[in-house]
Amino acid sequence: MIKQVAPAVEVTALRRVFAGGKGLRKRGPEHVALDGVDLVVDAGEVHGLLGPNGAGKTTLCKILSTVLLPSGGMAKVLGHDVVTHTAQVRTSMGIVFGGERGLYGRLTARQNLKFWGALHGLHGKQLRTRVDALLDRVGLRDRADDRVEAFSRGMKQRVHLARGMVGDPALLLLDEPTTGMDPVAAKDFRALVGELRAERRTVLITTHDMVEAEQVCDRVSLIDSGRILATESPNALSEWITRFERVDALVPPELVSRLRTLPGVGSVSTSDDGRTRFETTEEGVAAQLVRSLVEAGVTTVTTSKPSLEEVYLHVFGGNGMAVRR
Amino acid sequence: MRTLLIGCWYQLLVLRRSPADLMALFVVPVNTTVFLAIMQHADRPDLAGHAVLAPGLMALWAISLVTCGELIDAERWGGTLEALVAVPARMLPLLTGRIVVVVTASLFAFVESYFVALVFFDVSISVPHLGVFVVSMLATGLAMACWAGVMASVFVLARSARIFQNALGFPFFVLGGVIVPVSYLPDWLRPLTNVVFLSWSSDLLRDALNPAPVQDFGFRLLVLLLLALAGGGLGAYLLSAVLRRVRSLGTLTYA
Ligand SMILES: Nc1ncnc2c1ncn2[C@@H]1O[C@H](COP(=O)(O)OP(=O)(O)OP(=O)(O)O)[C@@H](O)[C@H]1O
Ligand SMILES: [Mg+2]
Repeated sequence: MIKQVAPAVEVTALRRVFAGGKGLRKRGPEHVALDGVDLVVDAGEVHGLLGPNGAGKTTLCKILSTVLLPSGGMAKVLGHDVVTHTAQVRTSMGIVFGGERGLYGRLTARQNLKFWGALHGLHGKQLRTRVDALLDRVGLRDRADDRVEAFSRGMKQRVHLARGMVGDPALLLLDEPTTGMDPVAAKDFRALVGELRAERRTVLITTHDMVEAEQVCDRVSLIDSGRILATESPNALSEWITRFERVDALVPPELVSRLRTLPGVGSVSTSDDGRTRFETTEEGVAAQLVRSLVEAGVTTVTTSKPSLEEVYLHVFGGNGMAVRR
Repeated sequence: MRTLLIGCWYQLLVLRRSPADLMALFVVPVNTTVFLAIMQHADRPDLAGHAVLAPGLMALWAISLVTCGELIDAERWGGTLEALVAVPARMLPLLTGRIVVVVTASLFAFVESYFVALVFFDVSISVPHLGVFVVSMLATGLAMACWAGVMASVFVLARSARIFQNALGFPFFVLGGVIVPVSYLPDWLRPLTNVVFLSWSSDLLRDALNPAPVQDFGFRLLVLLLLALAGGGLGAYLLSAVLRRVRSLGTLTYA
């Protein structure tokens, strides 16, 4: 018999509007942070929410964690409505907000975790074992009894992660969990997400790093201006990353005009310092460009991965990426 | 109940790490010295009780105003308020536990004051009505805790109130009859002093140190407890208003 499991996250036509302006009297125009979001995250899935600054990622996480009320639409966590059934949602969900704040600096890492664990209803031996296990797991065993205010950003981020997991949540919301981590820590973090997946936990992770999203997620939803643009597999992302590669070099003008006609070369721009940037729109074109440049005697050539903004522009068209206030 | 104990445990940890939160306790010996010196100079040994109670009550009020008043706001500044909202445990008992610890710690001011009088002035305070004194002290602590909860929420809801926080000390020392019994104040202040629980507390505590029989003890205690209850109710209501407002406006954190 197959048990019908509710999706871990179910969001329908979700809206969130913030009052504009500052102060009580100066009511500016309303600001739409979420504009009809539909999203389903299956149980056990690692789902990425990829979007630029101001896209609405944090707003969505806050609504799912019952910290913020929606202005319209519906959101459910493990089948419980986030507005009417906050108690059930709060017991089954853990949240990690990125950044340095959100921990008690004067307390040690262990005390921080004990405090949050206690607020999740743990006590006695169970609490101690859970806290010890988590400290081990995020690699902070040796610093467990140091005050958090003396920690580096990356170490604080690990305490944040442990704090999010202290209630043994079925759903973990990670809002930009790798900000401030060095590459080694970020690699550890990817391993950790792998473990969470193996434990059949659901993870919703926000980021504006395409490579990170591609590496850790089962599916990735692209969000911008409060709307979900598409939900893709990590393969699609890696394809975009190679397809829209860019090549920068100091190139003589006549060579620029010849190369820009090559098939698969998209926009070409020359900056004030004379460097030219070629953006490619097809896989393999970057390599071809580099070859032609080297043959023409241009030796300082750099290739780089496209920014999220560029990919959005290519994939979703011109107005995909208006900088929002 | 368990959440309340978590609040107590947490606040004890914090106080141990930052004794400066109880700054007013360090000032108590100074105040006691000043009051006792004035008393001796005026040759009024009968006022020794007043001189010892006043610094204690001042510390109790000051610590509640500053330390308890900032409990919620500090969470907001620290970015932890959101995480606290997202947790299954409820906020009211957590905050209550924290306030109880701070208020209890501030009661230590009376002990300090007592010993300063004993050691430096050779003044031994006797308590002719011990029962009245203990009950009044407990009721005072309770009322202070309740009104500290009101302050904690008001300072979040009305940000401008924070500006007056520093100024809210002295007026209440006056209205609460902390330094001078309210009966010495102009009559027109009566309606105001009557609703300030401190005025009932200070009168009761002073009377307990006075050999003369304590008049109307039951009624005065009842008023003190009712004022505590009013503060507790108002505090709980304001806290839920704070939580509702931050969830709907999205101003849980300072951006
Ligand atoms: N409390 C608030 N009051 C008013 N506007 C807000 C508030 N919180 C968020 N916004 C606005 O809502 C929009 C979405 O913000 P949100 O923080 O969700 O973006 P984000 O995708 O998390 O961005 P980032 O990558 O920078 O973290 C932004 O334009 C932001 O200015
Ligand atoms: Mg964000």
